[in-house]
Amino acid sequence: MEKMLEIKKLEVSFRPAVGESVKILRGVNLSVGKNESLALAGESGSGKTVTARAVMKLLPNNMNFEKGEILIRDRNVMNLKEQEFRKIRGKDVSMIFQEPSSYLNPVFTAGSQVLEAVKGDGPGRKERTIKLLNEVGLKENVFYQYPHQLSGGMQQRVMIAMALINNPGLLIADEPTTALDVTTAYGIVELLKEMMEKHGLSMLFITHDISLAVNFANMIAVMYAGRIVELAGAGEILNSPLHPYTEMLVSCLPEKYKSGDKIKTIEGKVPDFRDLPKGCSFHPRCPYKKEICLREEPGEMKRGEGIVRCFKYGDFVEA
Amino acid sequence: MQFIPLLFGMTFISFVIIQLAPGDYFTQLQMNPEISPQTIESMRRNFGLDKPVIAQYFYWLGNLARFNLGESFSYHVPVSFLIGQKLKNTLALSVFSIFFTWLIAIPLGVYSAIKEGRWQEKMMSFFAYIGISIPSFLIAMLLVFFAARTMVLPVGGTTSVFYINATGWEKFIDYLKHLLLPGIALTLAEIGWLYRLMKNNFLEALGSPYIVTAHAKGLSDGRIYFRHALRNAVNPMITIFGYTLSSVLSGAALVEIITNWPGMGRLILDAVLSRDLYLVMASLLIGGVLLILGNLVADILIAAADPRVRLR
Amino acid sequence: MKKFLKRLKHANRISFISLWFLLFLYLIAFLADFISPYPYDLQNREYALCPPTAPRVFHDGRVSLRPFVYGIEIVNPAFQEYAADTSRIYPIRLFAKGTERTLAGFLKTDRYLFGTGDEGKIFLFGTDLHGRDVFSRVLHGARISLSIGIIGVSISFILGLLVGGVSGYFGGKTDVFLMRMVEIIMMFPFFYLMLALRAAFPPNLSSVQVYFLIVVILSLIGWASLARIIRGMVLSLKEEEYVLAARSLGLSSFRVITRHILPGTFSYTVTALTLSVPGYILGESALSLLGLGIQEPYPSWGNMLSVTVGNLRILTGAPWMMIPGLFIFLTVIAFNFLGDGIRNVADPKNW
Repeated sequence: MEKMLEIKKLEVSFRPAVGESVKILRGVNLSVGKNESLALAGESGSGKTVTARAVMKLLPNNMNFEKGEILIRDRNVMNLKEQEFRKIRGKDVSMIFQEPSSYLNPVFTAGSQVLEAVKGDGPGRKERTIKLLNEVGLKENVFYQYPHQLSGGMQQRVMIAMALINNPGLLIADEPTTALDVTTAYGIVELLKEMMEKHGLSMLFITHDISLAVNFANMIAVMYAGRIVELAGAGEILNSPLHPYTEMLVSCLPEKYKSGDKIKTIEGKVPDFRDLPKGCSFHPRCPYKKEICLREEPGEMKRGEGIVRCFKYGDFVEA
Repeated sequence: MQFIPLLFGMTFISFVIIQLAPGDYFTQLQMNPEISPQTIESMRRNFGLDKPVIAQYFYWLGNLARFNLGESFSYHVPVSFLIGQKLKNTLALSVFSIFFTWLIAIPLGVYSAIKEGRWQEKMMSFFAYIGISIPSFLIAMLLVFFAARTMVLPVGGTTSVFYINATGWEKFIDYLKHLLLPGIALTLAEIGWLYRLMKNNFLEALGSPYIVTAHAKGLSDGRIYFRHALRNAVNPMITIFGYTLSSVLSGAALVEIITNWPGMGRLILDAVLSRDLYLVMASLLIGGVLLILGNLVADILIAAADPRVRLR
Repeated sequence: MKKFLKRLKHANRISFISLWFLLFLYLIAFLADFISPYPYDLQNREYALCPPTAPRVFHDGRVSLRPFVYGIEIVNPAFQEYAADTSRIYPIRLFAKGTERTLAGFLKTDRYLFGTGDEGKIFLFGTDLHGRDVFSRVLHGARISLSIGIIGVSISFILGLLVGGVSGYFGGKTDVFLMRMVEIIMMFPFFYLMLALRAAFPPNLSSVQVYFLIVVILSLIGWASLARIIRGMVLSLKEEEYVLAARSLGLSSFRVITRHILPGTFSYTVTALTLSVPGYILGESALSLLGLGIQEPYPSWGNMLSVTVGNLRILTGAPWMMIPGLFIFLTVIAFNFLGDGIRNVADPKNW
């Protein structure tokens, strides 16, 4: 099957204003097949957004690629020049962001910003734009309105239209609903599902909300401290999570409660990249930790369709 | 509309400053044998000086509304006439320098924001620093020094000797030539911090999320810089236009005095030295009104440029 | 404070140097009486507009261990033409004798930090129209320029703190009224307002009176912008979550203000104050330059420059008369560097 996106052993480092540079992606592997949706879930600071930005080659100036490969439609794009890669952005892969209000340029109309994204000249660009705006649930007059005149949900719909105008095969959605209120967010999620079906879109969906991830995607990748610790189908994640971290995330879901239960939270905090614990970086918070977890880092172990990084499932050590 | 209370406040402050001065200004006049006691009496009545202070203020305001700014003590002509004569030279100087300041500072600011951290930016920022810190009168002095030594530019006045026989076009060119020295001095004095503001605005715009969006759309650098970032970086510049005017007018007055350009600067200075109070106050008021007008223009421009302001 | 200086040294070398440079200038201004080789008002009529005399160490191809100056030969007294007379050599002595004067108000002495004794003349920055030593006058003038900046800023700051604090803390109608006042003051061109205020007072005052008048005028104009800055800070800090948290804990407003609001504004205030010092220095210079400030014979950097205004002969013939301008520039740029450095270091985002 054709892969829309494949990331192999991706490493990214962060250079703070003062001090040593640190690795914040530590060998990320993942792939998104055609018409597939993969959710990348994890707490904030685990490296989800960095992964997304890395695919778009839009890392902030203080972050650098270290190693690894990124393949878009089976084409290695790591060594492409900026000018070459620009042709891929918006055409093969698009991205929408967390806060549409700040990601839209305040001084241009919504329509002109969508129109601007159209690749190639061709006639009927404006008609196409308006048609797409209708398709994402916006009226024609939105074309002539400025971002500040639109609600958050409408702004995100404009962003979606902007991302889809060139029929890209892959859409990266970076927490597209986090800044919106619940009902609006629901509308956006439904719209994204609809667009996937209609346009044969693949999606990399980034969220900190494991229930949203399960609801939305068929595959879930759970990220922790710059690594994917578990990859599995949505059903498996929900019903039989393998990694202790996933287990904790899932056990906090409200669906798992019986009435009268205390609300569960995960003990401990996200580790500081400047001072990662030796061995498995999850071990300080892990209820199952063994002696080996303090010394070695677990490697990727295959489990059915997915993978898991945990010594509970074998002694495979990360090279 | 917010400007109307401002104007009232300004006239009031001007008036208070007149009142602040000890004594009656006409006491000075009384000592002057050239001015008859009748004239002094009529002037006193003219400005309602025999009435209580508040009444005086409104009287003065009433005169002001009829463009009667009073008469100059030392020149014996209406103040408005004197100011009219000098104001056009000051405006010419200010417009000249504003035009070139913006014409040079904006592109340089954009360029060095793009080159942030490289030697081009470092060099320009260094010179900008010097420009910000060097007093306008010192720049003017240095320029006069070089002009006088090298004789490349005329120093002082607005016209050359042959002016009377010159044609209209020649007169204009001659005027421009004389304007060049004070104009360059004022431009150099203002350019540094305008450049720095523009650079910082552009850098801030470049760091905004919508620039990430523009990159994600696959737009070219040129389009991102000159469409997305520039438009957003220029808007705050328009807002500060009104404030730059204040420093331009102040700088212009000083530069005029140093370079002997016959504008408002020399006029006020002479007025202050001879305690020609109505002339001083009228000049102060004119300065304030110019600033208000400048801010008005900036408000209109910003409404045209920024949809968030326009549609409110 | 120590930590702060250390950071400043590492983060922003040039502002660290500026800090030391300024301290050095203040020290020199303080010791001006002792350091300058002549009293500021000592006239040498025969040496009017004499160019700077360079201290030398080479003579006849030999190195002299003690720096010396040549004698000054008057070539044409009418046109102030001078030449070095290489046959006369005056070594520069430390603690040399000169005209007797009183130091610090009580110490009578005829010793100067350096000089050439009675015979030779040492004019490091040349002399002015009356043959007074420009170097000595620059040192004395530093007292005016350097002190006026600090005093002016302090007074403006107190006024600004009062108005801005009240405006930001109480808000509402008080805020609207006070900010309108601020706007009105800021709507006048600075220079025009300064001259108009000066015009309201008699032109011929004593040096001390003029000094305080200048301080008052500059502060009357300067408080407005500081009040606006402080109001903005108070407004935003009032809404800061840690302040809200402190309030909700039931702390008294005095405690909230002293323990939570003021420390948050400290670095910002110091930056704003440092960066506004140059405005006062320039204001004084401009007034004195135009003859409305400090009066002769007492020197200020501004009034020393005034002889060059409208006098092309002096400007082109005696460019050293612009040296006080160089000192104004150096002081202003040092304050600017220092202010920027403090801002960078104080900004927690940079650390």
